[in-house]
Amino acid sequence: MLMFSYLMATGITTGAFYALVALGIVIVYKSTEVVNLAHGDLFMVGGMLAYTCYVMGGIPYLPSLLLAVAGAFVVGILTERVAYRSVLKHGLASVLVATIGVSFVLKGIGRYIWGGKGDYLAFPPIVSPEPLQFGNIMIMSQQLVVLLAVIVVMAALALFFKRTRAGKWMQATASNPKAAMLCGLRIDRIYMYTFAVGAALAGAAGVLMAPLTHLYPDVGFVLFIKGMAAAVLGGLTSIPGAVLGGVLLGLAEQLAAGYLHSSFQDVVAFLVIMFALIFLPTGLLGARGLRKV
Amino acid sequence: MSILAVDAVSISFGGVRALDAVSATFGAGEIVGIIGPNGAGKTTLLNVICGINRPDTGNIRLQDRVITGMKPNRIAGMGLARTFQTSQLFAGMSILENMMTGLHLCSGTSLYGAALQTKRMRAEEAELAARARDALDFVGFGGFADRPGNVLSFGQRRIVEIARTLISDPKIVLLDEPAVGLSVNRVEELDSLLRRIRDEKGVTLVMIEHVIRLVMGVSDRVVVLNSGQKIADGRPEEIRNNPTVIEAYLGKQIDAARSAS
Amino acid sequence: MTLPVLVGNRSFLALLFGALLALPAFANQYTLFVGNLMLLYIILALGLNILVGFAGLLAFANAAIYGIGAYGTALLQVHLGWSFWAAAPVGAVLAMLIGTLLAFPALRLSGIFLALATLAFAQATQWVLWHWQSVTFGAGGFRVPPPDFGWIPVKQDYGIYFVSWAVTLGLLLFTWRIMRSRIGRAFVAMRDGEIAAQSLGIDLLTYKAMAFALSSFYAGVAGALYSGLLGFVSPEAFDLFQMIIQKAMIVVGGLGSVVGSVLGAALLVYVMEVLREFKSTQEIVFGALLIAFMVFQPHGLVVFMKRWLPGWEEPLHLAGGVQSTAPGHDTSVAGATSKEHASAERT
Repeated sequence: MLMFSYLMATGITTGAFYALVALGIVIVYKSTEVVNLAHGDLFMVGGMLAYTCYVMGGIPYLPSLLLAVAGAFVVGILTERVAYRSVLKHGLASVLVATIGVSFVLKGIGRYIWGGKGDYLAFPPIVSPEPLQFGNIMIMSQQLVVLLAVIVVMAALALFFKRTRAGKWMQATASNPKAAMLCGLRIDRIYMYTFAVGAALAGAAGVLMAPLTHLYPDVGFVLFIKGMAAAVLGGLTSIPGAVLGGVLLGLAEQLAAGYLHSSFQDVVAFLVIMFALIFLPTGLLGARGLRKV
Repeated sequence: MSILAVDAVSISFGGVRALDAVSATFGAGEIVGIIGPNGAGKTTLLNVICGINRPDTGNIRLQDRVITGMKPNRIAGMGLARTFQTSQLFAGMSILENMMTGLHLCSGTSLYGAALQTKRMRAEEAELAARARDALDFVGFGGFADRPGNVLSFGQRRIVEIARTLISDPKIVLLDEPAVGLSVNRVEELDSLLRRIRDEKGVTLVMIEHVIRLVMGVSDRVVVLNSGQKIADGRPEEIRNNPTVIEAYLGKQIDAARSAS
Repeated sequence: MTLPVLVGNRSFLALLFGALLALPAFANQYTLFVGNLMLLYIILALGLNILVGFAGLLAFANAAIYGIGAYGTALLQVHLGWSFWAAAPVGAVLAMLIGTLLAFPALRLSGIFLALATLAFAQATQWVLWHWQSVTFGAGGFRVPPPDFGWIPVKQDYGIYFVSWAVTLGLLLFTWRIMRSRIGRAFVAMRDGEIAAQSLGIDLLTYKAMAFALSSFYAGVAGALYSGLLGFVSPEAFDLFQMIIQKAMIVVGGLGSVVGSVLGAALLVYVMEVLREFKSTQEIVFGALLIAFMVFQPHGLVVFMKRWLPGWEEPLHLAGGVQSTAPGHDTSVAGATSKEHASAERT
């Protein structure tokens, strides 16, 4: 029973974290109809920047976190300008390929600055590494931190979209770009900030997860697949769907690892993507675009 | 025997009833216009006929063979062709190749034949190219054969697309707003082209159109749809004065105003 | 013949293949290896261009299929003792069969969704190669006995090289002819107007399956030759980076161009060699190349060739149409969208 509850707890906390990655993907997709394939690498960028500031630069944790997120935000803006704005006129598939290019540039830069393949950066734990025990359930305190952070971020996003003007602008642009433009919204700017917000979310996820996992240049793609699986499962256009998808994925992974074999953990995400795309075309909570003649 | 028979066809999309028990027949060598306000279900009707969507109830018969639920490419092979509202000229090919693609079903070269460039394959290609040029000449675009698809203006593209549908000698052609974006002169050219097609080739034409002048002028019969239902079916003169049709387009109050004045 | 006419795509191909044929005479062992690799990449690029460039199917599984071809061939030799000459065709066909299965999801998915599904499939394949240790020997890979040339008096390196050369040339001619036939037209029609293609009688399932079958067969053949060339097979060689390299080759060369595939492959193999030392630089360069081409010349280098070399005749099959320079003319590879992008129309 203890193992089961541990698996559940780990599943939910990792799931929350996948949800965070998925949220960034969904926000960008809802607005621009583009999946940023470099999204996972922004996670790496966030983690690496935080490492540089906190471990190498000795800057205290919270400012490091903010700097890293800001860095990811800037990279998000650059991605939009380079891979989206200039390429969109050639079609969405070209944008997709361009984001792949961005992904590899980021990975290459990461590998160049922070080490080659096989070098794992170890981020020291922020809170005490001892697991906490609640009755029968064991949790690492950092996992709790992640879970809390995710909840805070999701609440902040919800507030942002519902209460602030910027949030409403983003929603408006997402549902009808032409009408938004006619109302005077600078949709170019809005797309840019959408990418940036998505990137910042990924960067934040990178910083939060850094103490729990190893940082290496290729971690981005692994994360991207998992975030994508969560997003597709929940429905690419649904924010609550991203959360639900993330949690379900996290649980599925832990259960597969615990009851089947630890190596099965990695393959769950791939199977979820294929399954969701083929059998659940709109995801659990979302609505995919229809093709009109 | 009618060429095409639509029999009480209904289809809903997500709770919206796009077509409601619509029935119509189309005879050989007729030009039939389909008109109706926006959202009446005109394009949906074409989509259902050519196999893009499967109706919830009802049947479609092409020369007395039931084609409901068949895949679009199979229906095409049975002699039904269609054009679309948006230009579907293949941009990545020359215009001649576009036309030759229209003859896809008329040639049988396989992977094997193409790879070995058999005599038969080369002869077939030459024949396809010749027929393609003839079809282009029929609509007056012979000189554009080797240009890429996207050098033509929108209006010119519509004409070439019509030629592409004719090249395989279909029995019936569905046209979705062929006159959209055409200038007045071009509309007149289209009018005479459609008549030529009917007279010289005996093809049945079913045409969705908003340009009432064109529809009323060239059609033998007009079918009127409104909110998914057929509300009228008859000769252009009858339709023009049909109160239900007028009401569908203009609303009841204006009609009352007319009768009051 | 006047000089301008001589300088064209045919002469380019003749020159390249002539040079490659003569290579063993004056190259050292390493250069020969690179030349052989170039031939394999030409095969891969030709196949991938059929799928992505001509048929417009944005699939990312080619590197995995390449791996299946290599593993299939190698494992038949190692586990069942088959000779290379028996194992290679079977390995290639196995890759083709598995790759063709991907046509089924391709019927329901398009654009980003097809890309994701095939990407997930590729990663799942990687996972199988890594973890099914009893069969695939896991992450470390395994050695394969070199192809046995029996009574033919030829050096090992040369033998596999000439076989690769001949196969590549054969596949090039095959591709050239197919793309100029009604099958090529069907692919382009599917890419540029799927609905209209159907209304002209083109069966999407048949042609999507054919596109996958062809590209997978090419990848399988390349994989089989790879195992023969290297004598060693491991999962690393068939990962995402490999997929990006192949994608970059056809993008740089020209999507929808047979000669473009050859051009892109040859060029990028050269670039890879120059950047050999640093994988990270390779990644940055390839990434930057992809971005640069997507921004400035998504139709690839063949457009320049066609403009500047008078003898360069290229059928107009390039994705998006050759002369489309007007913005908002969106007919690029498999872009299915239900919304219009207002900002695109403003550029």
